[in-house]
Amino acid sequence: MAADMQKTGKGVWELLRKCSPNPKDAGNTLLCLNAIGMLFAAASNTTATAIDKNTRPEDKKFLIPAGVATGVANIGIYFLMTRKLIKYLEKSAANYVDNMGDKLADKATDFAKRAINKAEKGIFKKPKLAVAMKKAFFENGNLSDSITETAKEAYKDNVKAAASVAGAFAGAVIGCSILTPIIRDVSAYFVQKRMEKNNPDLKNEPHKPYYDPSRVGTGLYNRKQFPSMTSYMAFANKNLNGRMKV
Amino acid sequence: MKVNSISNQNFKGSFGEKTVGFITKHPALLATLAGSSVIAQKVVMSASEATIGPAMDIGIGKTITKITDEKDGRTKQSSKVQAVRTFSQAVGGTIVGVVIRGLCIAAATALCMKAGEKAGEKLGDKFSDKFAGIVNKGLNENSSKYKKISNASAWGKNIGGAVALLVMLVTNFVIDAPFINFINKNATKFVKNIGAKVKKPQNSDNAKEVK
Repeated sequence: MAADMQKTGKGVWELLRKCSPNPKDAGNTLLCLNAIGMLFAAASNTTATAIDKNTRPEDKKFLIPAGVATGVANIGIYFLMTRKLIKYLEKSAANYVDNMGDKLADKATDFAKRAINKAEKGIFKKPKLAVAMKKAFFENGNLSDSITETAKEAYKDNVKAAASVAGAFAGAVIGCSILTPIIRDVSAYFVQKRMEKNNPDLKNEPHKPYYDPSRVGTGLYNRKQFPSMTSYMAFANKNLNGRMKV
Repeated sequence: MKVNSISNQNFKGSFGEKTVGFITKHPALLATLAGSSVIAQKVVMSASEATIGPAMDIGIGKTITKITDEKDGRTKQSSKVQAVRTFSQAVGGTIVGVVIRGLCIAAATALCMKAGEKAGEKLGDKFSDKFAGIVNKGLNENSSKYKKISNASAWGKNIGGAVALLVMLVTNFVIDAPFINFINKNATKFVKNIGAKVKKPQNSDNAKEVK
């Protein structure tokens, strides 16, 4: 038991460390922040259903598990898929850089000069960073001198970071534009049919956006005002599916 | 030796290798990707959501209608309304999301930079070693200073991104919700004008309650 807890603790710590701002783990940071955002959104909306007085208790028994299941499936598949993609691209980047040979120095020099130029003259000027980079990347801080090992390491880190971020972006695009609509719309169809079966009046309602169980609003059947939160009430009541997205 | 060269050759032709090769050939792309924050991710994600999402909704609606042989076509109609909603959600959510993330990141970066300067090397070392996994020992002064500044910037970016998530738990209800409704209302009108069959609500209870 204690060993299990220790293992879990280590796992959580490892995940937190992965989320920490290590430039080498840029893709994982983006992935974790996005997944936490999706988790907040799904949890908030499911909680809204749970505490909503206007939703009937017998419907809640179905809606809450459906909301949790949809949220878990959506976030879980997105997270695992993107994590795999990031790992694969990071490995590819490491291998690519290792096989660069003599080209590495040239590429790193170009990249270092570009970064210094951007820090000195870009829209968001960072003079302190520019000075630090000059001293760290070039011998004697002179751009015409040879490049240092730190510059080569920085270039390697940047290639790895860029590859992992590309993976995170690809995962986000696939996850949010393809995976989410499929999971949301298909699960919504079954939820909606079940709702209509239990509440025949719903069939007379005008066509609404899908009733998404993981993004449930309040007052689906009995459109009474949600106490005290005017904006939330307006949002949820007007659309009947208060989809919230962080 | 032979095995290594074969595996390297195979690897060079792989999808990952090609992707990394493409990125390194374009230094601007490499710098942009490596320096990306949650703002860039949000923009990329929402742009695809606004374009691919609605098409997916309509496609899935049609597929479900076909598979289940639904006679009244409710799912198909709902999917059209959902498509407009997805678009509005992506556009409205992005505008508010980018502004809030930008403000949080700018504030967090400024604070991290200041904290780094004030706390001196000890805190910088602690952050680097414990969290970022970068060992500063053995580095010369110049390299160490560069790493500390770039770490402070990275910390700002990520702490800002995390704080933005918490801030947006509130702003989603206060700003996003009415704003998305506004876009949705106008987008629905626009879709009607170009001929999509979105049925008009049969009663106006919603509008009354909102007022």
